[in-house]
Amino acid sequence: MNWPDIALALCGIIALYAAVRVVLEKDTMRKLPFLNVVSFAISGSIILLIPHPLAIVAAAAYFVGSTLESNAIASKYAGGPKNE
Amino acid sequence: MPADPLHILIAAMVSWVNFVTIDVFFKLPERGGVSGATEIGRHIEEGGGALHGGYMMGNIVSSPDASAGTLLASCGVYAAGIPGGLFAALLVYVGNRICYDPGYAGTTGCITATFIVYGFTLIGFSAAEFIVGMVIAILTIQGISHVHSSRLLSTLWRWRQG
Repeated sequence: MNWPDIALALCGIIALYAAVRVVLEKDTMRKLPFLNVVSFAISGSIILLIPHPLAIVAAAAYFVGSTLESNAIASKYAGGPKNE
Repeated sequence: MPADPLHILIAAMVSWVNFVTIDVFFKLPERGGVSGATEIGRHIEEGGGALHGGYMMGNIVSSPDASAGTLLASCGVYAAGIPGGLFAALLVYVGNRICYDPGYAGTTGCITATFIVYGFTLIGFSAAEFIVGMVIAILTIQGISHVHSSRLLSTLWRWRQG
């Protein structure tokens, strides 16, 4: 195996582990950091699968999108935006 | 290139130091940048963690910070060298604005990580090792024990305050 394959396998294992932790965690707010780990692992996997300059846009778009979703979920649970 | 687990371990440690240093320097543990981040910090404290570490973890969840910058810089360098890393910094800057984050931790972390990762590629590392290294680094903060990682971040925050 060469490096991208091992790196990809590790990203996949970490994404699966974090996804299991998301399911097992009872508190919705405390699920979000685990979901953040999933986003990191998936963004990394995107670029490892497609090593092309434009894939940076895809990885960044996926990452920012998932971050914004977590932001929106957390904000909703906090009672909606107060100062933003 | 033959597999060398030591490289991934070193890459993970370098990524960890880069993003934690920049996040703490930019005062992410001080308070939640948005109401959602404050709420996450509060819930982590309720679960037995430390409040300021929880705020920093909430901020990492709610907007691309230096950890996201380090990941996307590694991705950029992997796909297109230094220009790729700087392009990733631009995307992180846009992402910060989309997420209503007025700070520059993400952009700064992305630019420093670009040059760190490129430097390591000159001495035999692969940028792919930094991608997985950063995934492992974020796993240690967000994905193993929120109680322990938030306490560690709070300790670093107390040092930052002097």
